[in-house]
Amino acid sequence: MKRRAILAFTLDHPGVLNKVSMLIRKKMYNVDTLTVCRSRIPGVSRMTITLQEDDQAKVLQIIKQLEKFTEVISVKELDTNHSYWREVAIVKLEVDAGHLDDFHGRYNFEVLEQKSEDMHIIQVAGSTRNIDAFLDEVGQEHVVEIARTGVTALEK
Amino acid sequence: MTGKKLLLKALKERGVKYLFGYIGGAIMPVFDEMEKLGSFKFIMSRHEQGAAFMSQGLSRASLSTADPQVGVCMSTSGPGAMNLVTGIADAHMDSIPVIAITGQVATGVIATDAFQESDVVGVMMPICKQTYMPLHADEIEKTIHEGFYVATTGRGGPVVIDVPKDVQNEQVSDSYTFDQATFRPHLPGYFYSPTPEREPVQRAIELINKSERPVMFCGHGVINSNAGELLRQFAEKVNIPVAFTLHGISAMPADHPLSLGMMGMHGTVEANRAIMDADLLISFGMRFDDRVTGKLNEYAQNADVIHVEIDPSEIDKNVRTSVAINADVYRTLHVLLGDPMVGYKPRRRWLQKIEGFRRVMEEDLKTEIETGVGDDNKLLMKSIIAQLSDLTKGRDLIVSDVGQHQMMAARFYNYQTTNSWYASGGAGTMGCSLPMAIGVKLARPDERVWSISGDGGFQMNAQELGTIMEHNIDVKIIILNNGYLGMVRQWQTFFFDGCYAGTPMRSPDFKFLAQAYGIPHRKVEKLQDIAPALQEAIDHPGAMVLEFICDPAEVILPMVPSGGGFEDMIVSHPRKHNDNLGQEGEAA
Repeated sequence: MKRRAILAFTLDHPGVLNKVSMLIRKKMYNVDTLTVCRSRIPGVSRMTITLQEDDQAKVLQIIKQLEKFTEVISVKELDTNHSYWREVAIVKLEVDAGHLDDFHGRYNFEVLEQKSEDMHIIQVAGSTRNIDAFLDEVGQEHVVEIARTGVTALEK
Repeated sequence: MTGKKLLLKALKERGVKYLFGYIGGAIMPVFDEMEKLGSFKFIMSRHEQGAAFMSQGLSRASLSTADPQVGVCMSTSGPGAMNLVTGIADAHMDSIPVIAITGQVATGVIATDAFQESDVVGVMMPICKQTYMPLHADEIEKTIHEGFYVATTGRGGPVVIDVPKDVQNEQVSDSYTFDQATFRPHLPGYFYSPTPEREPVQRAIELINKSERPVMFCGHGVINSNAGELLRQFAEKVNIPVAFTLHGISAMPADHPLSLGMMGMHGTVEANRAIMDADLLISFGMRFDDRVTGKLNEYAQNADVIHVEIDPSEIDKNVRTSVAINADVYRTLHVLLGDPMVGYKPRRRWLQKIEGFRRVMEEDLKTEIETGVGDDNKLLMKSIIAQLSDLTKGRDLIVSDVGQHQMMAARFYNYQTTNSWYASGGAGTMGCSLPMAIGVKLARPDERVWSISGDGGFQMNAQELGTIMEHNIDVKIIILNNGYLGMVRQWQTFFFDGCYAGTPMRSPDFKFLAQAYGIPHRKVEKLQDIAPALQEAIDHPGAMVLEFICDPAEVILPMVPSGGGFEDMIVSHPRKHNDNLGQEGEAA
């Protein structure tokens, strides 16, 4: 299944997130990730939703139906070729400091705190695939806890 | 000024005359104020669902008059609001502007499971065009005006305004000002584009001029934009036959030479066959519902599609269009009519072919209607509707319920009056007819209104006889009583080997039921008594219940099986042929 990112600008009103998520549920999708933040315009939120769908016509339907909501100002699909998709993960890792050194330069991460000799809290930013690769290389078995933001995206 | 006063002031400014509804704890302040003002006519329904359908009737019937009104229904919180749900969902499916005002528990106790508290906004959100919950008296006027604006512009729909009880009583702030004349709703995400763009219109004209076998579709949008007369003129100008969706019926006279009648599942043979053979479909204000198209991948395979529709999310939803015109139907037809590039073609071969389609069932139906009775000499619904049509010359307003009788009323009444046919289409809500007819009659008091129901649907909102009694509403009520849920029974006959599960139904003596409400009742069992009974109802000043004892074995044909394509259209009763009728389709 192809992963799609849908960018929506909406009014920053209570119930808008409810409407958007209800539509996605009604269309029988499971949301992969959903991020909401303020936009540059006061009172307008920026929402990035990712979900799985191969059929372009169906994605267009979602977009049109989202646009139908009075609180939704504009919606578009962002494809990976013409936009950046990024997320941030905060990871609690049980590894020696030396082990982490191997990854410096190759991955965009930062140690937020070293809690003990082999317990680190780090922050890693990048594409979903990039974060997955980092975790695989570090070794999933070292991950004690992880929090990921989900994808936010910006057109090139 | 208090919230309740501003609420009623805003309604008055919006031209509201009737309020339909039912009082209860959380809406008492508004009712109290309404009574003291004395400037609204309050119609108490016997169940909130009735109030929602009455509002629909008022909105639908008045839109083609000089005084279009938006139906407003009011209920209390909790169960009162929940009882509106079916009527609101129905209005949403059929794009009817309705304003529902519900009382809510006071803001201080919201979300504490207070007495008669329901999350009205949460429940209504997916089944209406917009929901509001004003939290201060200062917001009320703005909310009501914005609600009317949203309900009535673009593709119409219901708007729900949930007003907490303390907000109804609250005084506005000292700095409060509101000017209705200069008020513009702040809705940066709400667009509708009524004016057609030049480029797609030009491409549409090219397709129309090129086409050899075109069919025009008349949907609900034609009625809603009052474009029936323009559609007729355009059809005549280009000489293209017109097929109707259920809600497109009565946009132009049913017996117009270019009319193909209703299309879709129970549409006429000529409409459905013409669509199958067409090279161009020109659709005005409709949404290619599954009851219209049947199996999508077999639908109008060789045709280009021009789709004129105010709601952009309907374009390319079910059927891929060649030219999309996202605009108001009236304005688009106006542009098309005025364009000298659009030409007349005799289309002799195409229209001759359609004449052939018209003959496929013509004889069968004529014989059935003339015979008028089925097994056991019980009456046929078709025949009753046909006689009603003859007697009223097709000029009356028909409000149908949902089921077999609805399809009969859609097919066999010869609609002559613009905007004279009302029913629940998208939602298919049984019980809609009786309350909706009340709203229709209030909107068009000088015209005769018939409510046509089956024995099943009638009993779903039979309590509204009380409203009819109380307000002396002159609605002629027809019950086509066949002792079954007829449409489901027909499906059981065709697709479930005649296993009549859950469809037989014992009804009360409708005579006593009508009499209990002081409404005269006539039971008709013989063919020769149909016309005199209808005439008696016409002559009687006031409501009357006519109960016809109908043949349960009667079917409405043709029928495109659910999930089937037009190729699978059934044109004769299965007991007359042994074809495999196919499997149950994907759609219900």
